[in-house]
Amino acid sequence: MATTATFTLTSADIAGDPVNVSKTATCTKAGATTDLDQTTGLNRVHLRSTTNKVLLAANAEGNDLSAKVYIINKATDPTLYLTVTINAQTIGKLYAGDWMFIPWSQTDTSADIEVAATNWTASTGDIPVEYALFHEDTDFLTNA
Amino acid sequence: MATVTAAIALSSDITDSNISVSNTSTLFTAGTTTGLDTMTSVTKVLKSTDQVDLITTGSVSTTHAYVYINNPSTDHTEYFTIAIGNAGAGTPTDTEEIGRLYGGDFMWFPWDVDDDICVTPSVSTDMTVEYMVFS
Repeated sequence: MATTATFTLTSADIAGDPVNVSKTATCTKAGATTDLDQTTGLNRVHLRSTTNKVLLAANAEGNDLSAKVYIINKATDPTLYLTVTINAQTIGKLYAGDWMFIPWSQTDTSADIEVAATNWTASTGDIPVEYALFHEDTDFLTNA
Repeated sequence: MATVTAAIALSSDITDSNISVSNTSTLFTAGTTTGLDTMTSVTKVLKSTDQVDLITTGSVSTTHAYVYINNPSTDHTEYFTIAIGNAGAGTPTDTEEIGRLYGGDFMWFPWDVDDDICVTPSVSTDMTVEYMVFS
């Protein structure tokens, strides 16, 4: 069983010559060529909290293991963003249509991945968020 | 302003019904539909297991950027530990680990340019890291 992630970046005009980057990674267990074998599947939630909510709960047992996280902001209003944090450390803001794909270490149980609809108001509507986790080890998640 | 698109295609047969996700985003300045206009592309060879500030906040003049980091190694046992925080001058005391990029792995994420992005090679034998920053 294999999980692959292909990244493609293109621009015809950000530099004097076209920029094209293409990269495919096969998601494997830590330090091995064995494929990851567990996933949360693709999830969708509607976020309206301006304070942090746990999207993925960390478990310190995952510290030395492999995990890949995909998150996308499915809003269409370009001003609406999610603030993504790990253990209260802000990583960045996912504006409408933006996505991220990162490895996730769980250095301790505080290393939750949290999101907040920071500039949400009752008039903006909820922010749809889709996410997936690909990982190893049965005890990886707190609720496993 | 330039047009830059970043696409991902995820495919997995872990589950009985396969997962297939494809999305393309156009990179804009914060909260707008104005394209970005600055790109940095760097390849570095790191020769120790010390943590280094790979991308500093001072290298970007905005508060919203996108970062691509790639570990081009073909050795799956070699990894970079990626962290974000205020590492200071080589003192990794105030950083939060994001994750480990093993050989062949990449990551893509938005960066709010509040703190430096740091890497720590797992071995001291010439590990190459590639990164791009769009802002």
